[in-house]
Amino acid sequence: MEVGRVVDEGAVIARVRAGEPEAYAELVRAFTGIALRAAKALGAGADAEDVVQQSFFKAYRSLGRFKDGSAFKPWLLKIVANETRNTVRTAGRQRSVAGREAAMVEAEPLIPESADPAVAAVEVERRAELLAALDLLTEEHRLVVVHRYLLEMDEAETAQALGWPRGTVKSRLNRALRKLGQLLPAGHTTSRVPAPRPGKGGARHERASR
Amino acid sequence: MSEPRDERPELPEELRALGRFMNGPDGVGETMAERVLAQIIAEQVPASAVGPPGPRERARRTVRWARQRWRLLTAALCGVAAVVVLTPQVRAAVYDWFGFGGIEIHYAPSTSPAPAPDAQDRGCGAPLAMDEAVVKAGFRPLVPAELGSPDSIAVTYAPGDRPVVSLCWRKDDRMIRLDEFPARLDIGFTTTVSDPPDQVSVGRESGLWFAQERRASFQLLDGRGQRWHQAQPTAGPALLWSHGAHLTLRLEGVASEGRALKIARSTDDRGGSL
Repeated sequence: MEVGRVVDEGAVIARVRAGEPEAYAELVRAFTGIALRAAKALGAGADAEDVVQQSFFKAYRSLGRFKDGSAFKPWLLKIVANETRNTVRTAGRQRSVAGREAAMVEAEPLIPESADPAVAAVEVERRAELLAALDLLTEEHRLVVVHRYLLEMDEAETAQALGWPRGTVKSRLNRALRKLGQLLPAGHTTSRVPAPRPGKGGARHERASR
Repeated sequence: MSEPRDERPELPEELRALGRFMNGPDGVGETMAERVLAQIIAEQVPASAVGPPGPRERARRTVRWARQRWRLLTAALCGVAAVVVLTPQVRAAVYDWFGFGGIEIHYAPSTSPAPAPDAQDRGCGAPLAMDEAVVKAGFRPLVPAELGSPDSIAVTYAPGDRPVVSLCWRKDDRMIRLDEFPARLDIGFTTTVSDPPDQVSVGRESGLWFAQERRASFQLLDGRGQRWHQAQPTAGPALLWSHGAHLTLRLEGVASEGRALKIARSTDDRGGSL
């Protein structure tokens, strides 16, 4: 799955370092999607865009310390994670399940109009359930799940972004997934498009459609 | 990459789908790029703070000089101007730029080798008498002794009735042009140009010498950030300097830095009362 435009990071960074700050725009364009995803997944809520802007700015300022040849994405996402944490903490706000659910509902217009509204409603509810379950994880477990799956990073990138050994990533991920599975409501379906079925699925459908 | 075994084997894929849902809409990267570059400029982060020692030192000098020289300029104005001005330009792949007062010039890379330095005849086509120009502009432009009386004088207006006086001389089949703006030079912007200008002294004043020839266009801003655009097909090397606290001058059409400085310094003791 694409997570941004393809950009020759090394070449762009070299251009910025050589005194061409405009080239930085290419990195911003390529990684804004994933950075927003990280900020939202880590609880930035309505501040996600501001958090991402600030993160890109900080990354620019510290580009001198960026290690040549390493990947930009995990480095950037580490900054996004820190910035998200600072923003949430500064505002004295707690990660709010209600707020995250509201954000999911607000985002509904993103669902294509052609989509079956009933299916869309179930998907909105499922996202809310997943987010609620993620919120119940410990911070370490939540971080590893967010990085590895929501941000679609591989183990090595996850290890780099979190500053953990790869073995730790693997073991924490296993435990986190097991925990997450237990936290999800019983009967939670994992199929992408749920087949209409009687019982709990149908009841949820009706509830979401009202 | 193998997935961990779990009683919910499709959970990872659902989490990935959830993540994708959290991306911004298409095009959000464009907007973000504008916001980030505007912030870089507004906060005067030297372009080459991350670069090799040479340019870094040069940028540092520019910033230090800028801060000393124009520290009176309010940060608020700087921030507002940067955001308002830069946004459409980044989209247009602006190469580098600088601005002064409410007036900004931006540069795009030249697509073909620039012709010999020759300020275009733009704006000098409808000559006025000096007295007429003074009445129209509301200030008496400086006239460099080195060049003598201009062949033509024109007054144009930026939005908000901000006057710009242009003096033109035709010398050896070349056009030399001096634009005068009753505005302060806002040096904050120069910290981001990819090829920083040379800092020069014009009498007691500071100036910038832009050695490169580029394609350029003018953008002028009024107090509300409304834009007025003037195409400028070719700009040769240019000297930009201020005279006192309320006048900024821009000389183009002179290829040699030494000659341009000589012309600039010769404006010191002639007219110019605001």
